Amino acid sequence: MPLLLVRNKGLRSQGPAATRGHPDRASGGDVDRRPRVGTPRVGTRYEGRSLTKSFDGATVLSQVDITFAPGEVHSVVGENGAGKSTLLKIMAGIYQPDSGQLVLGEERVGGLSPRSAQQLGVYLVPQEPALMQSLSVTENLFVGILRRGRLHFNVDWRSMKQEASAYLDRVGLDVDPEVRAEELSIAQQQLVECARALVHRCTVIYFDEPTSPLTAKEAGTLFEVMKNLRADGYTLGFISHRLDEVLAISDRVTVLRDGKRVSTALRSEVEGPSLVKAMVGRELTGRERVRPPFDATGRKEMLAVEDLTSEPSFAGVSFSVREGEVLGLAGLVGSGRTEIAETIFGLRPSDRGTVRLEGRRLEHRSPRACIDAGLVYLPEDRARHGIFADVEVERNVTAGVIPHLARYGPLVKPVAERDLAKQATDRTGVRMASLDTLIKALSGGNQQRAMLSRWLLAAPKVAIFDEPTRGVDVGAKDDIYHLVAQLAEGGLACVFISSELSELAITCDRVIAMYEGHVVGELSGAEVTDANLGSLIVGAHTI
Amino acid sequence: MTTLPTPAAAPASSGGPIALAGRFGDIVLGLLRRREVQLIVAILGLFAICSALHPQFGVPSNIAFILADSVTIMLVSVGQTIVVLGRGIDLSVSPILGIAAVSIGFPATASHLNIWLALLIALVIGVGLGIGNGVLVSVIGIPPIIATLATLTIYGGVQFIICGGYSVINVPAVYTNFGIATLLPGIPWLIVIGIGIVVLAYLFLTRTVTGRSVYAVGNNAEAAFRAGIPVRRILFTTYVICGLLAGLAGFIYLCQIGSATSTSGSDGNTNLYSIAAALIGGTTLIGGRGGPIGSALGAVFLSEALQAMISFRVNELWDPAGVGVLILIAVVADRQGSPVRHVLRRPFRQPAEVAK
Amino acid sequence: MSLSATSPLGTGPAAKAPRAQTAGRQEARWVATVAVLLVALLAYFCIAVPDFRDLGVSGILGLSEQFLFTGLIALGEALVILTGEIDLSTGAMSSLSGIVMAALWQQGINIWLAVVLALIISALGGAINGLFVTRFGIASLLVTLGTQFIFGSVATAVGGNAPPYNFPKAFVRLAGTGSVGPIPNELISFAVIAVVVWLLVARTRYGRGLVLIGYNRAAARYAGVNVQRTLFSSFVICGVLAGAAGIFVSGYYNAARDDIGNSLLLPAITVVVLGGVDIFGGKGRMSGVILAVFLLGFLDQGLLIRGNSSLTATMVEGIVLVLCLMLKIALDRRAGVRLKESLQRRFGSARRAAVLPDT
Repeated sequence: MPLLLVRNKGLRSQGPAATRGHPDRASGGDVDRRPRVGTPRVGTRYEGRSLTKSFDGATVLSQVDITFAPGEVHSVVGENGAGKSTLLKIMAGIYQPDSGQLVLGEERVGGLSPRSAQQLGVYLVPQEPALMQSLSVTENLFVGILRRGRLHFNVDWRSMKQEASAYLDRVGLDVDPEVRAEELSIAQQQLVECARALVHRCTVIYFDEPTSPLTAKEAGTLFEVMKNLRADGYTLGFISHRLDEVLAISDRVTVLRDGKRVSTALRSEVEGPSLVKAMVGRELTGRERVRPPFDATGRKEMLAVEDLTSEPSFAGVSFSVREGEVLGLAGLVGSGRTEIAETIFGLRPSDRGTVRLEGRRLEHRSPRACIDAGLVYLPEDRARHGIFADVEVERNVTAGVIPHLARYGPLVKPVAERDLAKQATDRTGVRMASLDTLIKALSGGNQQRAMLSRWLLAAPKVAIFDEPTRGVDVGAKDDIYHLVAQLAEGGLACVFISSELSELAITCDRVIAMYEGHVVGELSGAEVTDANLGSLIVGAHTI
Repeated sequence: MTTLPTPAAAPASSGGPIALAGRFGDIVLGLLRRREVQLIVAILGLFAICSALHPQFGVPSNIAFILADSVTIMLVSVGQTIVVLGRGIDLSVSPILGIAAVSIGFPATASHLNIWLALLIALVIGVGLGIGNGVLVSVIGIPPIIATLATLTIYGGVQFIICGGYSVINVPAVYTNFGIATLLPGIPWLIVIGIGIVVLAYLFLTRTVTGRSVYAVGNNAEAAFRAGIPVRRILFTTYVICGLLAGLAGFIYLCQIGSATSTSGSDGNTNLYSIAAALIGGTTLIGGRGGPIGSALGAVFLSEALQAMISFRVNELWDPAGVGVLILIAVVADRQGSPVRHVLRRPFRQPAEVAK
Repeated sequence: MSLSATSPLGTGPAAKAPRAQTAGRQEARWVATVAVLLVALLAYFCIAVPDFRDLGVSGILGLSEQFLFTGLIALGEALVILTGEIDLSTGAMSSLSGIVMAALWQQGINIWLAVVLALIISALGGAINGLFVTRFGIASLLVTLGTQFIFGSVATAVGGNAPPYNFPKAFVRLAGTGSVGPIPNELISFAVIAVVVWLLVARTRYGRGLVLIGYNRAAARYAGVNVQRTLFSSFVICGVLAGAAGIFVSGYYNAARDDIGNSLLLPAITVVVLGGVDIFGGKGRMSGVILAVFLLGFLDQGLLIRGNSSLTATMVEGIVLVLCLMLKIALDRRAGVRLKESLQRRFGSARRAAVLPDT
């Protein structure tokens, strides 16, 4: 193993200031009270063997083998729900696998928690940095392992501050270690998380879609840091939705599909189209559309959005949807898709622009006014914005039509409410013990069906579905596609937001693509293919 | 290697006198944004105005009175601050103060209890009652506001039973002399003790591992747990410290007032004034923000404002209203000035983030 | 806040889905528990305290006059707590309303008109709280901590040195000490208001929104509930009910009391929590709160009749609250599991994570 060599290269590239920050030299002497057992040196192999994990009966990861080697960036790619994130979270101790083994170096590790994984040298940089906002950068770096001074109970701020600057230098972050975390941008916080991994002497570092909240330039900085770490022999794992990034940074790429490992190959052996093919599991034109081609003649325009702007999320967005049409809204996370939907639905203020429903302008939009006018929105983040976890399915389903529950007189009629909920859940096929079951006891797919039932009750004319298949297993996904198709067949105008290109390709009649807050293209009919969409949403790069 | 500049640092990058003046302005502005500095300005400003308008306001004895008067609330609010920093709240501080005061008051009057022994007893009582709160919150897991609401009534009953219908009166002179002794004219001994405790609390919260853990837990209990901080033990400790300081405040209360009754502590709104002082001092109830120095200054400011109201013959009954207005001003100021708003950019605040 | 609420174990996909449990069953079980405790308490006092037994049915019912104003405050407080907020100004609001009514009457205004005006003032007070909470987005705990002081001061100021007393007989009879047969008028009024509030929460569109806000405020907003308006009006209703309580206090004592505020607030919150309403919002039933009014009230009155002092009685109430919460945590299986899990996580995992030998 060319370990020493690699490390020397690292030192050379960093210059003298950074040597203090090097994991093995960080703080010589007695300060490290963590168990010696298993504390790795730079250059540890970390292996997962036949990892399997299921949530609420839905298998999200099945018999996956993967090896992360030192001095290598190993990317895991796959569609949404393929199990990438789950895999990394298992490696980092956040989830426990149902079966399978983790092998760090030569030793088998089990029963990991995030804490013990860190002690063993494994760190996961989360998608959204989880820093303690009111504490200084220094303290965030050291929280949990604050350096103790001579009295043992006191904190040795001086040595920590010195070390902190060295570590920050190492990740290329030029900030005062004394500033509070909340004063940093998201990109800077991301780098602090990165430095935190080094402070904790972690040598296996995973990045879970770190670039999705970042601009292209900020992502570039992060990649510089990753390359330096790689040069120093760190073991790096990476997830991204942007294939161009994956191809740019990776040494090795593993493709997951529906929870199974499809392939692992060196970067030199793969190229864009072959990766996409492996991810979606078929030729790009293979899978059948769930509905016949759409004929716009004689169809009324239901929703018309003109010049809608809400800085800094998106600007100048215009589109329209006809009766019975499914319009796709494609774009990466952070491209402004969800913000557009939320602005239309009155959840966010708009700077300018109009929204018309059946030609009538919706002013002073609020969710209630939109629902009453016939426009509904299925939110992206089901757990936070969709379900009431501790409430029965019945009340979850009727929550969107509360004003209509008591038609005659002031009181809600329980029998009538139950009937409504029953009809709606039957229509979407929610599988549950009874309407009195708490919704959190249902699987993701059934929760989503219940959410769809909620909006069917409102008898909408236009529906915006935001990532309707997120966190839903494969079988349920198909049901949801067919349900959307069926609703469109019945005349509903649908807006379908997704970052899974293949599902846009099979459900949508027309797709508009978003990139960094702007509409960058529109495809319709036969043009709607994964490949065409893919090149649009990464900002006209070709895969 | 590419670097990302801090947004705040960007404007003051080039040299020259203009930039220097800009940087100086930045420093002044930064200082003015600190609640402690705002409070010192407010305290001095109010003092200047009142002294100018009222001949007796600025005399040393009045200053001494204001400072000494603030010590009880100061101590309790420092304890409260530590609990609040860990995202808790302690509504039971007033009966803890009261129990400490009457438990040493009776033996002091009846059998001339040694004053140092009395101090020790008061501290032990405070710790014991603080442990009670700590157990309910961190071991049993009852939400702090409910747990300490319950102990508020329980401890209140205990105080009543200890009194058994009597009151502590005519406390020996050794106690009351301690209450009015001054180090220098205008500087009572009590304030020296108060400042000492505030400094200790400050050092505890900034320089010890346990103290920093309180901030970490208050910021994000889950992340703190993941970082290996013993969350429950830290929460427990905050309630014990709060009890300890309330016990000490009980001792000082007895020395200052020279008497104690079954409603001592509760009748003076000690609970709410201690929370008020912490809030005015910039500690937020969502945890992890603020510190004991702000709270101490908040207590002094409260005491000064109330004394000013007395000096200008505002009826005493408006005292609580004054405190209420100060609380509202403080929390509205927090809301406007807080940088969290820009960072989070959530369309709506989660109810769970609100301290309860 | 409490560890069990913030510990990483309660939520997220990692938590095992519990077997078919329903929120309704859990809540109903607690209401039944409170009912059983109430019956047991009355039985105990009837057997063990002769003075209590000797009061007879009408006497025991008459005792309720002493605690129903607390119950009225609790009803309003429950509405606010169901949304996940809290109102600390209710006690002071009661004082203010009673005093305002008395002062207006003393100025020569018809007593019934004075009652209406006092209720309007209470509604305005609640609106101020609601405005700060919804408009400025300040935590209700802070807002109402501040307004509590302000309302209290205003009440004392309006009351002056000698608060008015000796109201017209008709008013005293209706709001205070009169009765229909063995049933005190106050109990009848309380019953009517309690039924209205119960229906409001359990069966109206407004109540539906209120409870959903308590469970998940963001999701309620996305589902079309007007969060701001619902929150605002919950504070207004809470203010009005607290004001009504103040008027009943005046009627019962036949004198305006400006000192009653703080002594009503804490028992009212105790009642709400005892009634099974989750302090973080959402969970809980009004029927539980209504039963808890009587449980806590009779406990208090029974102890007083037994010869205990009022502060002892308050202390016992505190102990009962703690015991009931422990019982509730034990009964609430989910909470039990969570606690156990978190302990396991804390003390077990670090050891379990030790390196296993390679097989």
